[in-house]
Amino acid sequence: MALLRLVLPLLLLAALWEGAVALLHISPFYLPPLRQVLGAIHALWPAYAQAFMVTLGEAVVGFVAGALVGVASAAAFHHARWLRDMLFPLFIASQTVPVIAFGAIVVLWFGNTLMAKAAIAFYLTFFPVTVNALAGMEAVDPRQVALLRSFGASRRDIWWKLLLPSALPRIFTALRLSAGLALAGAIVGEWFGASIGVGAMLLAALFNEQVVAMWAAILAAAAVGGTIFGVVALVEARLVFWRDEL
Amino acid sequence: MLTVGAAAGPRAKLQLNGVSRHFGAVQALAKVDLGIAEGEFVTLIGPSGCGKSTLFNIVAGLLEADKGGEVLLDGAAASLLGKVAFMPQRDLLLPWRNVLDNAILAAEIEGQPKRAARETARSMAADFGLKGFEGHYPQQLSGGMRQRVALMRTFMFDRDVMLLDEPFGALDALTRAMMQRWLLDIWSRYRRTILFITHDIDEAIFLGDRVVVMSARPGSIKLERRIELPRPRDPALLTTPEFNAIKRELLDAVEEESLKTFAAGAV
Ligand SMILES: Nc1ncnc2c1ncn2[C@@H]1O[C@H](COP(=O)(O)OP(=O)(O)O)[C@@H](O)[C@H]1O
Ligand SMILES: [Mg+2]
Repeated sequence: MALLRLVLPLLLLAALWEGAVALLHISPFYLPPLRQVLGAIHALWPAYAQAFMVTLGEAVVGFVAGALVGVASAAAFHHARWLRDMLFPLFIASQTVPVIAFGAIVVLWFGNTLMAKAAIAFYLTFFPVTVNALAGMEAVDPRQVALLRSFGASRRDIWWKLLLPSALPRIFTALRLSAGLALAGAIVGEWFGASIGVGAMLLAALFNEQVVAMWAAILAAAAVGGTIFGVVALVEARLVFWRDEL
Repeated sequence: MLTVGAAAGPRAKLQLNGVSRHFGAVQALAKVDLGIAEGEFVTLIGPSGCGKSTLFNIVAGLLEADKGGEVLLDGAAASLLGKVAFMPQRDLLLPWRNVLDNAILAAEIEGQPKRAARETARSMAADFGLKGFEGHYPQQLSGGMRQRVALMRTFMFDRDVMLLDEPFGALDALTRAMMQRWLLDIWSRYRRTILFITHDIDEAIFLGDRVVVMSARPGSIKLERRIELPRPRDPALLTTPEFNAIKRELLDAVEEESLKTFAAGAV
């Protein structure tokens, strides 16, 4: 049933694509038929599969690191006001630098490695996670904290049994947002000279004016984004099943 | 018959001596003296804002009393955090924990293994009217049931002294009457020392071995009244002349204090 809910809109979109191209006589320069795009992917399947895996790897490493660092920073900021006053402005300042400007430097530092792309994905992920996780922890009812303290709870107990679970709904809101950002980060990273990956494919297709290949790369990027988003949504449904009741 | 600030004999389970507390310019409590004997059920009544919850927070170790006052548990003045079972005004159940796991929260924090704690909780569920609901989540329960889960959590935090802050305040009259009888039944089986806040005089008399009336803010003990009505008590008691005589006596004191609060513009 859930699978149907996922597949049905995709089929609808595909039909719309094919139908529009055929009925409105759209020039293949603007939008090639879906069949042709899928055909191109099929013809070069190993290359696309590799690009998918590489970009997915870069985005996921940055995303997971960003999520962990985001939650950890939020915890630190929540416990130590002075730390928050000192570091939070730096966090905000960091986000005013556009990632594009930053990309060249990162590639300079890390070279053309997975780490370079992951670093950019990380940079885009950790901030929304920090902000949302912190907001979630600050929103915890102080009476709830008092109750746990009356049971003799340590800070550690309060964090694991109350603060973290309470913040989960907001953390996942940030993670769903960051899934797309992490992918964008990985793609931008690839633009600074990578030869493998969805972003690299996109750029190559653009230079060679291969419209079909461009659309194929876009589909591959969508598959990466959809995979990350899907996993996040699945984990969220398991962990935050009580979300609606708040 | 009426005494003020009396200790509950030489071996009080819980003894408060001259406990005061202020918040900035607001004096919430002024020199509260109160002694509670082992196994006693004391109900505390007073106008809203007179410092009842503040008093509980002090006894639970969550707030410091002002200098000069002392709280003795079994005669000793040690830190109170984790020493008494405290049930705050709201149930404060965790929405991601089911009934059993909410009930074992305190036990878990104490370091009891989860599995053993769950077994204990499972065996207590029937006593607390929660049989068949062990796997339900708080948002699936009625107000009365949520309150019973919170009470079970408090009972499972196995301490001699229990502090219950208006546990039935938010329930409708019928549910409340049922819960009162049920609490007395549970209390007679688990035998704990209970200090119970309420703003309902009937409830205070029906439940208590002793009713303590607090004055308007700054709160102090205005009077204490021993309730010698026989136990087990049942609802028919509420219409007896003895009950009404006690109620008359207490009403005067409570209303006087409520009027003071009203005049001070606090209600
Ligand atoms: N943390 C606090 N900070 C400032 N004032 C407080 C605080 N807690 C309680 N008060 C004040 O102390 C008084 C007593 O409050 P409380 O103990 O909650 O009364 P009650 O439970 O009897 O209704 C009130 O005037 C309240 O505003
Ligand atoms: Mg109160």
